Amino acid sequence: MIERVRGWLRAHMSSPRDAAGLAAFRVFIGVLGTISALRFLHYGWVDALFVTPRFHFKYWFAPFVEPLSRTGMVTVFWIIAASGLLIALGLCYRLAIVTFLLAFSYVQLIDVTNYLNHYYLLSLLALLMTCMPLGQVYGLDGWLSARQNGLRPRTTLPGWCVAILRLQIAVVYTYAGVAKLTGDWLVHAQPLSIWLSARTSLPLVGPLLAEPWAPLAMSWLGCAFDLTIVCWLSWRKTRPWAFAALVMFHALTRHLFPIGMFPFIMVASASVLFEPGWPRRWLPLPAATAWAKRPTSGPRLALGGAALALFALVQVLAPLRTFAYGGDVHWHEQGMRFSWRVMVREKNASVTYLVDDLRSGRTVEVSPRAYLDARQEREFATQPDLIAQLARHIARERSGKTGSPVRVRAEVLANLNGRRATLLLDPNVDLANTHESIAPAPWILPIPEGQPSLLRASR
Amino acid sequence: MKRRSPGAALASASAGTLIAALVFGGACDRVAYYSITGSTGAGPDDDGPSSAPSTIATGPTDVTRPMVLSGIATCAARLYGDVVDAAATFDSAAALFEASPTEENETKARAAWALTIGLWQQAEVLRVGPAGPATLPTGQSLRDYVYSWPLVSRCLVEQSIVSQKYDDESFPIAGLINTRGLYAAEYLLFYEPSDNACSASSSINTQGTWAQLGNQELAQRKRAYAAVLAADISDKTAAIHAGWTGSMGFGALLAGAGGGDSPFESDQSALNAVSDGMFYIEKEVKDLKLGLPLGKTAECPDTTCPNAVESVYARVSRDHVRNNLVGFQRLFEGCDAASEAGFDDLLRTLGAGELAERMSTDIEAAIVTADKLASADLGGLIERDQASVEEVHAAVKRITDTLKTDFVTVLDLELPATVEGDND
Repeated sequence: MIERVRGWLRAHMSSPRDAAGLAAFRVFIGVLGTISALRFLHYGWVDALFVTPRFHFKYWFAPFVEPLSRTGMVTVFWIIAASGLLIALGLCYRLAIVTFLLAFSYVQLIDVTNYLNHYYLLSLLALLMTCMPLGQVYGLDGWLSARQNGLRPRTTLPGWCVAILRLQIAVVYTYAGVAKLTGDWLVHAQPLSIWLSARTSLPLVGPLLAEPWAPLAMSWLGCAFDLTIVCWLSWRKTRPWAFAALVMFHALTRHLFPIGMFPFIMVASASVLFEPGWPRRWLPLPAATAWAKRPTSGPRLALGGAALALFALVQVLAPLRTFAYGGDVHWHEQGMRFSWRVMVREKNASVTYLVDDLRSGRTVEVSPRAYLDARQEREFATQPDLIAQLARHIARERSGKTGSPVRVRAEVLANLNGRRATLLLDPNVDLANTHESIAPAPWILPIPEGQPSLLRASR
Repeated sequence: MKRRSPGAALASASAGTLIAALVFGGACDRVAYYSITGSTGAGPDDDGPSSAPSTIATGPTDVTRPMVLSGIATCAARLYGDVVDAAATFDSAAALFEASPTEENETKARAAWALTIGLWQQAEVLRVGPAGPATLPTGQSLRDYVYSWPLVSRCLVEQSIVSQKYDDESFPIAGLINTRGLYAAEYLLFYEPSDNACSASSSINTQGTWAQLGNQELAQRKRAYAAVLAADISDKTAAIHAGWTGSMGFGALLAGAGGGDSPFESDQSALNAVSDGMFYIEKEVKDLKLGLPLGKTAECPDTTCPNAVESVYARVSRDHVRNNLVGFQRLFEGCDAASEAGFDDLLRTLGAGELAERMSTDIEAAIVTADKLASADLGGLIERDQASVEEVHAAVKRITDTLKTDFVTVLDLELPATVEGDND
């Protein structure tokens, strides 16, 4: 039985597939990567996110990542833009995709408050694309190489290329749907109720959003969409309608919320769920023919297969880690990142640090403002691990200045989805004495019982 | 909403408070237009055990964001109109004091300054329009020309006295913000000793130019400088008022947010811009005006820092805090009886009546706590009765905690759009 499965997998993963669809996907990702980088440069976000802030929140697994000088950061973004362009053209593809992956991931790792699910997705897609010879299919690399060698350009890729990308996109949508299977979302229509009530003056859709049933209807539709769209897109009969729905869905979210490149990346990514040769409907491309150099066995293939399986396993399991913590992830935030919990909470908090000088006995209040800009402050205030990280920094700085040991506590009032603000952390715990860890944090207080508020819409 | 008794304010007020309370009491306080029976405007606001008081104040029902913006525009124009009148009075009084330096004219000039800054402190929470930063639509940063605190420097003012830069034609345009405005005027009108705050290595001390002035010349130059500043303040406040009024004024742009002429793409973005200014009571009022002198912040090296109060010369820091809170209240509740909608009315319409009530109560409580302070001189009070000032700080913190959490959540207020996000 196991042998049969292995055999099927081997055959399925290594059998040649029309590469036209993945070539289009390469162009989309390259262009979107370039546009993303140019947006950062054009809108001054390089300065705002990487140069101006005095403090950057580190990922526990990458504490060594530091921003470069302004010139360095601007150069990195130009490199991202240029490599994106090369990816789209399929020119020097291997170098370009590796450069893009490293540069793009680097800027994402500089500060946790910059975390965005769609940029994480872009990094993952770039990682997968480094393993695929996408420059050889309908790219300048392939064209130049064929011209040099007098061979026909490559038009197929092994099946695993499409399969792993499909799995990745399926993981994103499915877990985004799973994240919505909560009472707040399905029963109380929160946070959509809060968001939509502030957007009733929008042209066209505004009056609809003011209808009392709109938040609940959109909550259910959004959840159903996320949970099932991969199936509808994968099934040939429903694909056109599903894609139309997908475009409408992302156009609507783009219209309603400031989510930047997210809709474009998701629409482009959906193309991997189409037939592998879908661009042929519109473009007169050379016919797909099996490529000669197709390894079907050997240690390299086995290693590649194992790496692929590991990647898939991590992607499937990582978002589930939050269930091991118990409680409401949107409150304690443990297991929140890298879990595709997109647009599922409205949370705000007020943080005041209380620094106790253990020698003098004096307690002073320290505002996060002393270290963070307004955007960072708003992002970090709802995330306990980041509050603890800044507490440790404050402790180091204060005790370094005064030479006296200090205790750093935090009074954090937070609310979730319209519930009345309440204490998020135990204000008596010395956060300076906590450690970066994935273990459950006992100093996070449980979410208070009670339901989110019910709001009405108003222009 | 309840009308506050002017008696409570007057009992403990200084001259500045007295004038402000007498002249503006009616304009600043709200007439009782919310009934305290029933809950016609409020819907369910399921906040658990602490929600839904038995009597929920009601106001205009179905209040919309454009109505709130329109109310803010009307209230701001009215407030700035009052500031212009006060500044014109101050201009006349300072000119008279310069021409005729009698004790009576000095008292009048000081009272006119107190009147002007009392109103200006109410306008401090309005960080949009011509007074607002140049990065916002129609912003001209005129606020800093009128009152640059906390960017102030006594030494720079004293250097200007020596150099007489205030007499330059270019001073209204090129004069540094920390050598002009109501802070410099306060120093010039209220500080009588003949010392200076510049270091010993400063040129006015090394060259002896300060000492050479002599008391009489120093006093004369201070009067002349104050007159120049008063005239400039009058001009700048008039420019701010003019910028708010008229068919293409900022008030109209704010009220018409989302329309063709308005720089605000939606009423929500306009509301965001206005609400940003409300955080003045957190950073400036809670932390700088109260927290720092109380020694609550690390910037104060000692147990307390009474000299770090806002009004060092006129010693009316309590009145400034109180007026900031009154300005915040005007913004939150609307400034006029039944005609102007405020944020509280919008909250009730949205079904967050309990939140509106809680914030109104907290704001009122903070004002009352400030009124109860035994003296307008916060610095002296911190030395004598620190606990009473701590109470004001705690009362303001209650407001700011709610402002940063429940208030911004229910209204879905965001920071000015700078970077994209997917809310995760």
